[in-house]
Amino acid sequence: MTTSITYDDRSVRRFMIASLIWGIIGMLVGVIAATQLSWWQMNGKFLETITFGMIKAEGISFLTFGRLRPLHTNAVIFAFVGNMMFAGIYYSTQRLCKVRTASDLLSSIHFWGWQLIILSAVFTLPAGFTRGKEYAELIWPINIAVVLVWVVFAINFFWTLAKRNEPSLYVALWFYIATIITVAMLYIVNHLSLPTSFVHSYPIFGGLQDGLVQWWYGHNAVAFFLTTPILGIMYYFLPKAANRPVYSYRLSIIHFWSLVFIYIWAGPHHLLNTSLPKWLQLLGTLFSLMLWAPSWGGMLNGLLTLRGAWDKLRTDPVIKFFAAGITFYGMATFEGPLLSIRAVNALSHYTDWGIGHVHSAALGWNGFMAAGMFYWLAPRLWKTELWSKSLANMHFWIGTVGILIYVAAMWAAGIMQGLMLGQVDAGGTTLKYEFMETLESIQIFYILRSFGGTLYLGGFLLCAYNIWRTARSGKARDETVQVAILERPKKDNMSWGEALFSDPLAHVFLGMAFVILWFFLPPHADKAALVVAILLGIKAFYAFKASKEKWTNWHERIVENYLPFSLLVFIAVAIGGSVQIIPSLIVNREKNIEGRLQELYTPLELVGRDLYVAEGCYNCHSQMIRTLVPDVMRYGRFGIGDDYSHLGESLFDHPYQWGSKRTGPDLAREGGALAAGSKYMRVGKRGNDWHFDHFLNPRQTSPGSNMPSYPWLFEKTADVKSLPAKIAAQSRLGVPWPAMSQHEIRDLAESQSQEIAASLVAAKVYLPDKPDLQGDALRNHLAKTEAVALIAYIQKLGAYREIVKDSPARPSSLNPDSHRRNP
Amino acid sequence: MSREPKRGHFAKEKGEVILREHEYDGIQEYDQKLPNWWLFTFYGAIVFFVGTWVAYYHTDFLKNDQQIIREKIAAIQAAKMVELEKTLATLDDSKLVHRWATDAALVSAGEAIYLTNCSACHAADLSGTMTVGAHKIPLPGLPLDDREWKFGGKPMQIFRLINEGSPPESTGHNGAKMQVWGQTLNPKQIAEVTAYLIAKLPEDFKDIPAN
Repeated sequence: MTTSITYDDRSVRRFMIASLIWGIIGMLVGVIAATQLSWWQMNGKFLETITFGMIKAEGISFLTFGRLRPLHTNAVIFAFVGNMMFAGIYYSTQRLCKVRTASDLLSSIHFWGWQLIILSAVFTLPAGFTRGKEYAELIWPINIAVVLVWVVFAINFFWTLAKRNEPSLYVALWFYIATIITVAMLYIVNHLSLPTSFVHSYPIFGGLQDGLVQWWYGHNAVAFFLTTPILGIMYYFLPKAANRPVYSYRLSIIHFWSLVFIYIWAGPHHLLNTSLPKWLQLLGTLFSLMLWAPSWGGMLNGLLTLRGAWDKLRTDPVIKFFAAGITFYGMATFEGPLLSIRAVNALSHYTDWGIGHVHSAALGWNGFMAAGMFYWLAPRLWKTELWSKSLANMHFWIGTVGILIYVAAMWAAGIMQGLMLGQVDAGGTTLKYEFMETLESIQIFYILRSFGGTLYLGGFLLCAYNIWRTARSGKARDETVQVAILERPKKDNMSWGEALFSDPLAHVFLGMAFVILWFFLPPHADKAALVVAILLGIKAFYAFKASKEKWTNWHERIVENYLPFSLLVFIAVAIGGSVQIIPSLIVNREKNIEGRLQELYTPLELVGRDLYVAEGCYNCHSQMIRTLVPDVMRYGRFGIGDDYSHLGESLFDHPYQWGSKRTGPDLAREGGALAAGSKYMRVGKRGNDWHFDHFLNPRQTSPGSNMPSYPWLFEKTADVKSLPAKIAAQSRLGVPWPAMSQHEIRDLAESQSQEIAASLVAAKVYLPDKPDLQGDALRNHLAKTEAVALIAYIQKLGAYREIVKDSPARPSSLNPDSHRRNP
Repeated sequence: MSREPKRGHFAKEKGEVILREHEYDGIQEYDQKLPNWWLFTFYGAIVFFVGTWVAYYHTDFLKNDQQIIREKIAAIQAAKMVELEKTLATLDDSKLVHRWATDAALVSAGEAIYLTNCSACHAADLSGTMTVGAHKIPLPGLPLDDREWKFGGKPMQIFRLINEGSPPESTGHNGAKMQVWGQTLNPKQIAEVTAYLIAKLPEDFKDIPAN
């Protein structure tokens, strides 16, 4: 029985237009943020020039790098790629399932809900409402909205699969399924937080646990938001555009399953050489290396599909963009494992090499795959021809040159600064360069980067214009086709038993179980587990040889059954995170900490810390001295041989603030001991007045600095009122705050801020905006300001006490390192 | 392609190309065996994983990161002590004033170091103040040009003060202490900075005799 169906192409058009608009905005913010690193005036002061002095400001809070950078990353990831992904998924899923999307209402809720979320981000992020975790900055009410909209999307998608008129699922759909399931899992776990007000919350994990969860999420946001959906899109649109069969079906199977299983484990490679336990670092590195081949499997299946269609590369801009995009994917997924090698990471991490790496993937892979898809879709969605092929070609070349300039500049900057930071003097006992000298030496590359980024944005504007003209030259029309209705018995007819209790799965699960036992079992038992795992691997190999037909049929059947398939995907992606995160939640707690344990913050220091997070200081400053000679020599204290950051030093930090990029120096040892005769006030590496001058005008204390000026810190009143709620929330999360009444909290904060303010007045600080304030009036003003709270926090950084345990720690089965003779 | 590809489900031999029978919205799929280099990359990475884990957790050959860094830093600190001893053996008040501070090359090297590291707190003109508009504002560091040396004004005392930072008993200037510059600068650089200060403040050191 056949029937006529009309696809819902309106949703596709909407998502596509949204992607173009948000893409322009997100990239524009990126270009502005890039120029801020070259010219500090771009943090607000430039408004004074362009308005001929009507606006007077040394800096404007919502335009600073620390607040714009999160807006840029969130906009390009979730708004640009997000909407692009939805356009591609809605278009291809309907056609691969030969059915209209299940619910137009859900499609509409999905579309408008997503745009509202982005719009709310545009306002909250520059306002300084943030959770302080990269790509997870949005505040908790928006998090809930994201989850709800994602669930709407998931229901709509799986409902469409259930209604499909096509027995088996094409490989593109496998990738979409993996995307929807995994993003939901990652997003929910990394956004678990305890609200303290409508706009503020603390992540429930702290310190290293928070870091581990963050990069499990952060790394796999790259994997399952920026990679798997785009691979799915590649598998649909590339063979369509090239009119060639996909290179190899078995490669699709192997690289799909290995990719989704292995990717999840690689997160800790963002925390190499830090105080993250060694076993997690090893897993991060080794799984990243194992990920290389599966990633290249996707590239091969893309590029080799073009065999026999390479001539189209000259004439068809769509193929041009796809071929270049897939090539950039190959480059980036080769570079990724390379950067995960600890020795390479020692140089690259915290420098611009990482920025170059993500942009070769984001601009090359995501941006070009998006462009290829848009150019292919637009004529079909508006039933016309592409308005201008030559404009599309021009976009391609401008974009390519832009990417190459951008990436080359960042490579040069990252490698050069990394080498300079580690360079020692002739005697080998002191470092050759001050941090500022290394920053000044890469300025030229920062300017080149802004130029490359601007070119890329220019190309993208051409794309938007071309699509707009194309749309205007045609008429929006939804495609109608004849399809044969598929009755239920022909699809989704595998029983759960048949799906799950099968030979291939039994081998895989048993093998995996023994590999995991090998990580965790005590000495000797672990080796036995490894032997069993290897034997199981060999057995699986022979079992597969013997019953190839049966095993392949099982997979052919499983892709005809979307629910068992989805369950298997969920299991595959859930294993890595569980193995890495759950033991850390149990083992790495206060009672198990030896050596150094963080000193608790005072109420005022907590206010300062929340300001540090809100201003986005973590975008440029790390708080992590790695176990590397240049790090310890530069940031460790003189004469203390083991002054790298220890695990216990940030145990109570919600959120953790180890950072991921050092545009400024590390701050882990910035704080210090209580000042002589002071009850609360601490003095670290530098005096309070130094920090006062520095926040007011960083170039005064550090000539050449590109840090924004923070004049508003000296005006705005520190938020002491919400402290009781915040401290109560932290106590519930396990931070051992002493019991304090509201009054005690306020008095404590007041005493400390008065102490600091008095020290500033004694040092004769000068507030340019309030030149008349003197003596007690100045002290009382300063004591209320955010600046003093932030100084309190900075002077506390790295404070810890030594913990001596009565008996040595016992080996724990959840901590592989504890079994080593030299743990 | 000149000849029609074989139809079927899966390729069975190396080099065989099968065009799979099922089509999805017009998309066809080949099946063919995978390139060996790709397979070996994958298998190699898995073997490397097992090998590395075994080497680290099942043998005692490899030290952990903390041991490695502690040993390296201890070696550097020992070398630093030797370097300092050597420099100190060649330095005294008289040499700093009459040899180092009179050598234009050393003094200008000292000036460069001073401007990079010291001027933020002590000011480029050694006054410990800066001018904002009509105001003269104190900087975090003590003025150096006021003929007062809180911790001793002999050249070698100044050298040691820079090298070791504010003495432990000091309560700091407005609470802030000077950092241990010996961590950032090597002994020769510290001597150069000292020479620069002597050259800039001849009055303070005119009583040091030449020997």
